[in-house]
Amino acid sequence: MNLSATSLLDRRLLMFTGKGGVGKTTLVAALACEAARRGRRPLIVELGHRASMEAVFEVDHIGYEPREVGRGVHAMNLDFDSALAEYFEEHIPVKRVARTVIRNKTLQKFFHAAPSVSEVATLNKLSALESERTATGGLRWDPIFVDLDATGHAIMLLNLPSVMDGLIGDGPMRRLVDGFSSLLTDPHRTILNLVTLPLELPAQETVELYQRLREHHDVELGVLFVNQVPSRPLGPAQAGMLDRLEHRAREFGIDTLVDDVAIARRAMRYHVNARSQINRMQRDIDMPMVELHNIASRVLNLDTIAEIGESTFALLDSGQQREETHVGAAPRR
Amino acid sequence: MSETTGIDELLMRQRLLVAIGPGGVGKTTVSAAIALRAAELGRRTLVLTIDPAKRLADALGLTELEDRIRAVPTDELRKRGVEVKGELYAAMFDNAASMDSLMKRVAPDAETRDKVLRNRVYRAMAGTLARSHAYLAMERLHQVMNSGRYDLVILDTPPARNALDILDAPSRLATFLEEGVVKWFVPNKGRGLRARLMQGSGAAATKLFEVVVGKELASETIAFFEAFYSMREGFHTRASAIQGMLRARDTSFVLVSSADATHLADAEALAAGIKARGVRIDVAVFNRAYERLTHADPLAIVSSAGVLDSPTTIRLLFSDELHRSERDTMTALLTSLHMVRTQAAASNQRALDSIRKLSQLLPSDALGLIIARLDGDIRDLPGLHALGPYLAATRSLHTT
Repeated sequence: MNLSATSLLDRRLLMFTGKGGVGKTTLVAALACEAARRGRRPLIVELGHRASMEAVFEVDHIGYEPREVGRGVHAMNLDFDSALAEYFEEHIPVKRVARTVIRNKTLQKFFHAAPSVSEVATLNKLSALESERTATGGLRWDPIFVDLDATGHAIMLLNLPSVMDGLIGDGPMRRLVDGFSSLLTDPHRTILNLVTLPLELPAQETVELYQRLREHHDVELGVLFVNQVPSRPLGPAQAGMLDRLEHRAREFGIDTLVDDVAIARRAMRYHVNARSQINRMQRDIDMPMVELHNIASRVLNLDTIAEIGESTFALLDSGQQREETHVGAAPRR
Repeated sequence: MSETTGIDELLMRQRLLVAIGPGGVGKTTVSAAIALRAAELGRRTLVLTIDPAKRLADALGLTELEDRIRAVPTDELRKRGVEVKGELYAAMFDNAASMDSLMKRVAPDAETRDKVLRNRVYRAMAGTLARSHAYLAMERLHQVMNSGRYDLVILDTPPARNALDILDAPSRLATFLEEGVVKWFVPNKGRGLRARLMQGSGAAATKLFEVVVGKELASETIAFFEAFYSMREGFHTRASAIQGMLRARDTSFVLVSSADATHLADAEALAAGIKARGVRIDVAVFNRAYERLTHADPLAIVSSAGVLDSPTTIRLLFSDELHRSERDTMTALLTSLHMVRTQAAASNQRALDSIRKLSQLLPSDALGLIIARLDGDIRDLPGLHALGPYLAATRSLHTT
């Protein structure tokens, strides 16, 4: 199964989900840099108040208004309060009333607690960004990278239409939710990508998320990115000599060398475990997979991040799963 | 951070430890290991956890998904000569079930309870709303703390979107019910709901709500609030009690993080947020933070790789017994080994730098615990017990 970088970038909304700490923010930044390098006008949308992109692009503030953050990339933070305010301004004809509502703290609290309001306001903004055009009629944002802050977040957005179903009759609200629903389920416009780690628990959760998405949702699935994949520490011939080396090192009482062997054996176990989690995901998840090397261990700056984006897209275009071919790895389907 | 005796003194003194931290750092495992340590020290300990990995759940005797409190059998440890002087109990949150049982506890009468439980908005919320998880955790905690059955409770907080929710959630819900917003939507003495909604601010609020979510959803939601409103007394009392409990002297917050850049940004934000709410972090645990490089001392965090002189090493170990091709492979092996060690040492150094940076945000006398990356997943009590030395280790974070 292949998905070229171009075909990925031709979608309007590229959503990314995964547990915290899987390197999602770095990946999204990297892909956006590469999209810009390829002549696109990418916008990164962060949901919630995390503002992780500020650190990645080394800018002081990323707010609700999209701003250029470097390398031709724009970014914004889609916070709920601003999205709700915008929604009110659109739907309440009298601006003065709209503003009063927005400033009212008690009402704010109410809308925070009320069900589905956050999802309606968020999707409303995402679809507005999707349809935004420039003065000459071109796409203002091409494409939009959506950094969802947790796996539950994606499900909540995708669930909205079904939660609302039966609760809303016909009318403007129905048309709005139907609009969201068709945007989210249109394979030409929206694609959901998963980011995970080659460790037991994240892999398990990713498989479960995949099954849940497949069973309950029509959203088009893009690429499964596996981050922080360890490379093979020793070739087979070298590994074959470990016992002999260890034996002699003990005999001569060279403790550091004994430690070296233990460290290498441990690194080999990490590698084997990572490969088995990758194989398992490959078996259970029918999505093209891209493996990324230990991003977390590198010194990250915009240059290295842009390089990650470039090599990731190169991998997608080549139909390969990873940069180096490790000995003994399972062949790609 | 000062030099202290590891976490043991705290475990003997405190009644409640609240573990907070970003997702994916092994917070549940660390909470369970701390609980086991406390039980070993003689405390009757309960760990309240959320969704542990299957093997850890097995190890804790939580194989079935339910939130009944169970005693964790410690025979396996006794067989290995580890004495558990106290008792260890564990329970796991089941959010949908907790929400329902909370409604049952708080509802003033059966009619209100059924009204809430049957409400479609409630059903939609109970299953999907992550925001209520933090509140539920606090509720559950309040219950067990009042039972008097445990000397120490360790709360593994849910992976809320924002872990600060555990401090904000109880009062947020109570304030929300108190502040009159809901009053707009619910019937007043002697007046029907609809009549009230037709006038004043109530009408405006209802209209706005209809604008946002649509008429039918709005009316279902209002019905939900009506039922909910009658529970406000119960919520309010609980919220004050919970707030008091979280800020009590015998409560400690434990920040759990890894030493990876990806987690540390979240951990830093969390530490700042906790401080802003007037709560102290007493312990910071850095899990899977470093690679053990010295067999003789697993607690040592080695951050330099040393030098490699492979010709000398090979001559010393093997004299002339290796064929040429064997010698080449052996040389390559030594180079690879050195490279693996160099990478590990560099990553240990980065971890130490990150830990120091985060430590600056914590109180100067907060306790710092650093746990090595251990082999494989922790799947049994002996595995949890193996974290003990790291929890009890005295470390000075400024000089390592």
